[in-house]
Amino acid sequence: MFTAIVSSGTLLAALDSVSVLVDECKIRLDEDGATIRAIDPASAGMVDLRLEADAFESYETDGETIGVNLTRLEDIAGMANADDLINLTLEEKTRKLQIQIDGLEYTLALIDPDSIRQEPDLPDLDLPATIAIEGRDIDRAVTAADMVSDHIALGVNDAEEFFYVDAEGDTDDVHFELDRDELISLSAGDAHSLFSLDYLKEMNKAIPKDAEVTVDLGDEFPVNLQFEIAEGNGSVTYVLAPRIQGN
Amino acid sequence: MNLEEFIDDFERDEEAQRRRLAAEKSYAITEHLEAVEDRLEATLQGDSLFGSTAPDIFVGRSGYPSVSAGVLSPVDPDTDASRYVTSSDWYERGLSIDSVFQARSGLLNANQPTNVHVADAWNGFTGVRREVAIADRPVDVEVELANQPTVDLSVDSIASPSGPRATADDAQLAENPHVPRAVEKTLSDDDWRATGAMTYLYNRGFDVYEINTILSAGALGQTSQRKLVPTRWSITAVDDTVSQYLRGTIRNASSIDQTEVRYAEFLGNQFWVILTPGRWEFELVEMKAPQSVWNPRGGDYWIGSDHESFEGRTEYVDETAGAYYAARLGVLEALAERDRQATALVLRNVTDAYWGPVGVWLIRETVRDAVSNESATAESFHGAIERIANELPISHDRLQRHSVLTAGRQTTLSAFDR
Repeated sequence: MFTAIVSSGTLLAALDSVSVLVDECKIRLDEDGATIRAIDPASAGMVDLRLEADAFESYETDGETIGVNLTRLEDIAGMANADDLINLTLEEKTRKLQIQIDGLEYTLALIDPDSIRQEPDLPDLDLPATIAIEGRDIDRAVTAADMVSDHIALGVNDAEEFFYVDAEGDTDDVHFELDRDELISLSAGDAHSLFSLDYLKEMNKAIPKDAEVTVDLGDEFPVNLQFEIAEGNGSVTYVLAPRIQGN
Repeated sequence: MNLEEFIDDFERDEEAQRRRLAAEKSYAITEHLEAVEDRLEATLQGDSLFGSTAPDIFVGRSGYPSVSAGVLSPVDPDTDASRYVTSSDWYERGLSIDSVFQARSGLLNANQPTNVHVADAWNGFTGVRREVAIADRPVDVEVELANQPTVDLSVDSIASPSGPRATADDAQLAENPHVPRAVEKTLSDDDWRATGAMTYLYNRGFDVYEINTILSAGALGQTSQRKLVPTRWSITAVDDTVSQYLRGTIRNASSIDQTEVRYAEFLGNQFWVILTPGRWEFELVEMKAPQSVWNPRGGDYWIGSDHESFEGRTEYVDETAGAYYAARLGVLEALAERDRQATALVLRNVTDAYWGPVGVWLIRETVRDAVSNESATAESFHGAIERIANELPISHDRLQRHSVLTAGRQTTLSAFDR
């Protein structure tokens, strides 16, 4: 049994953060809330999403795992106005999801969860540097880097205690630097890793401009990006593998 | 499949400049064109009827969807027409740029302005053109010419060069063309999408050259959608379609286990193919010598590159055009054959010795040859690049700025799990 009411804004923010990496996913529903964990086909980017029961207007489940086509579900949720409530009910017998939005009723066929790629384990990473930064600063860095290149270096200078972004293009360069005062917080350690902008651009789309984003970095190591959604009743963690020069 | 995406802006004046430069580089071409003119006069003797054996067709792209589309046949009716057709055989025979130009300038393009929407029309000139395209050997034809042929040579970065042209009033088949069964099957199925039909033919042993002629004649796809495809676009479309199919076959294959470096050169083009362990990723970096036909105004090496990640590209390439698709096909064929995936970098150095563009087949065949060669192994991808960098005309730093793979290869998360 699963039935819930949720604001369209909350549902879309949650779905968007996952659909930047995969087209379909498993949604695990238990009494604490909904969780989604997925890894992209190239196994380079991972998302871990939690939406607590408090993020919903109402929420009831006996514990279910459903498989959904995210594009479909997003299209339907997109039919709602910003503050509309969306009513979700799982039809036990037909294994379909009933979606009601202000008089509009949509029956969504679900996907067999076993046919969806297995959920990854979160990698156990010990990353030396951690910063907290505003979503809009990530947006500035990614947008500027995208003008010159298709990859971007993120780093922390341990000695001088600043976070930086470098992008090198065919002819032009972008450098962006934020020191301790310009960041929300900084726990310095030497870190420098190169990432594909294809991924970061997509992830950036899902990061609210006013969010506080915790970024963990290492040397030629994956980056961890973590932020809250649904007014603190949900969180998104991205892990992205670097592009490397060494072996 | 949307073929319009293969259109690109090829500036007219650049094309003209290339032709002039090519003519300057080889007097043999100018002389040969004169010989072609004499031969044409002798063959035609004032008559408008031209009998020959047509091995190929040509579909222009200017004015699309109203294009000029023609039957190509040797001006000299006594030669072996099949030798005029672009194929892997040209590479195996080690044709020189001169001989490619001579072969192609000896082919008369008897054409008519045509709308590309041919659907199931098999009559008149359109029919003859389609029959020639689907036949697996040259077809005897008789063409009625409306005017005296103009003798010229035009070059293109993707299609093979083309020679004299004349407008055709009409054409007839002088024999029943031989059509392979697999082609008949794709023809008779009126609900088979072009991409599926191309892959089918490829798996039945047809090389991309044959498939692009068939595609270009509008003989593939759902009947109502069938249209002539400009030769230049069809070459890239077939390379792309077959490559996407091959990439799918290695999607779950295991990776190669060490870095492999291979080399081949042909007609002043040097190719290095570096395969390194990892998921499928591909990049072509082209370096073109200053003052060459390819970079006539440049004072420095021109560098262009395009890249795709594991999931492939959704947009036509920016800088390397048809070369990208031709090189990628060669690499994917080799990987699919081995049932392995890899991260692949192809470096192409176009030297001044490559004085006349012969068409994108040169890239496809040289890369095919390179990947079939014995490989040298390297400690690492980076080590391989450093070694090759000494032989390249540009600095390592400049290469890195243009090459995504040289800057860094995508890793997977599982590689970092402790």
